[in-house]
Amino acid sequence: MTKIKNTKQLIACQQCDALYDTPVLKLGESAKCTRCGSILAERKVDSIERSFYWSLAGIMLSVPAILLPIMGVTLVGQYHHASLLDCILALIDNGFFMIATLVFLFTLAVPVVRLLGAFYITYSFKFNRLKPSLLHFFRAYHHLDNWAMLNVFMLGIVVSMYKLLDDTELSVNMGLLAFILWLICSTMASSALDQDYVWQELENKFVD
Amino acid sequence: MSIKTAQESGLALCPKCHKLNDMKQSADNNARILCSRCCGMFYPRKPYSLQYTLAWNIAALIAFIPANIYPIMILYSMGIGEPNTILSGIGEFIDYGLYPIAVIIFTASIIVPLIKIIGLFLLVYRVHTGVRLRPDKHSKFYHALEFLGPWSMLDVFVVALLVAVVELGFVTSVSAGPAINYFTLTVIFTMIAANSFDPRLLWDKKQGSKNAKEENDD
Repeated sequence: MTKIKNTKQLIACQQCDALYDTPVLKLGESAKCTRCGSILAERKVDSIERSFYWSLAGIMLSVPAILLPIMGVTLVGQYHHASLLDCILALIDNGFFMIATLVFLFTLAVPVVRLLGAFYITYSFKFNRLKPSLLHFFRAYHHLDNWAMLNVFMLGIVVSMYKLLDDTELSVNMGLLAFILWLICSTMASSALDQDYVWQELENKFVD
Repeated sequence: MSIKTAQESGLALCPKCHKLNDMKQSADNNARILCSRCCGMFYPRKPYSLQYTLAWNIAALIAFIPANIYPIMILYSMGIGEPNTILSGIGEFIDYGLYPIAVIIFTASIIVPLIKIIGLFLLVYRVHTGVRLRPDKHSKFYHALEFLGPWSMLDVFVVALLVAVVELGFVTSVSAGPAINYFTLTVIFTMIAANSFDPRLLWDKKQGSKNAKEENDD
């Protein structure tokens, strides 16, 4: 075992544990692991600003995306439409409580909490209100990484439209537009956020 | 072998904040370490990773059986109920000639869960025995599995939407069937199984066998 340098000068690949010297990156560059090809580190352009505005837009859009009807059907003179919230309520009416809870979590709670989290973090950075508690907050934020499924729900909307198109008259409502915009905002907000930068800044400020 | 791993250098990577920590006292893989940056506890390698993956995987496989036997949704028209399983729903799309949609649903609800379950069994087996282990290929395969996971929820969301939208009283209405519970469980179990697999074990095993070979050669 060799003498260990300062751990800040080293970086390890998250996927295969290979050890490298910390690369010096310019804005917009990223470093890849030579062994497994996954991204080691990257510096995103204008990360805090972009993530701040995307998440702000996402928070504002989340209300119409959840409450406005996404689509409606007409059959023999009767009309009925449903929003994202109606899907969950319909499942509860049917007695499928587990599915209702999971659909609620994956398509409503997790995306909203993630947007609020990204907003809070970028807000604190933008206006210089850094607190030590942000360390714990950002750690908790990462627990939700895998569980937002707005994109899958979007595909679900498309598939069920095809299903309904055959034997009913289908109408598309404003909720669909709001939902698509919401999906774009939440994807952009989380992909624009530069995690390495946030961790580095928090560490420099509070740990040392 | 030029590449050193963090573990060999007595360092451990925090999975949440990607901070390298000193493994102070022991080089024991199952010792909990307190991350100096985010103050969370973590393990250098996920403990009992293979066992957990195998267990969740078996649970997913078991739940996948009733998911395909029971109807996933029941279509009522004029008071007469017509149950649909996952496969018969796909058959309907083929009858209507909507092949792209049929392919999407068939991929998302049959092929992806099966590939995930079989693929994870394969990965666990290869890591355990070290037979024909190719970490570069296998870790790419693992990432594909991880990425595909959530897309299997497609069928559940479609049923949820149809139940909510098609609610025209006596004329037509849709209600969910018992299979949706089992199908969701399958998806969740495979996602947890993929999460509990540690891709770094692939490289560790390879490195270990290579080192052993070099020692034998000497």
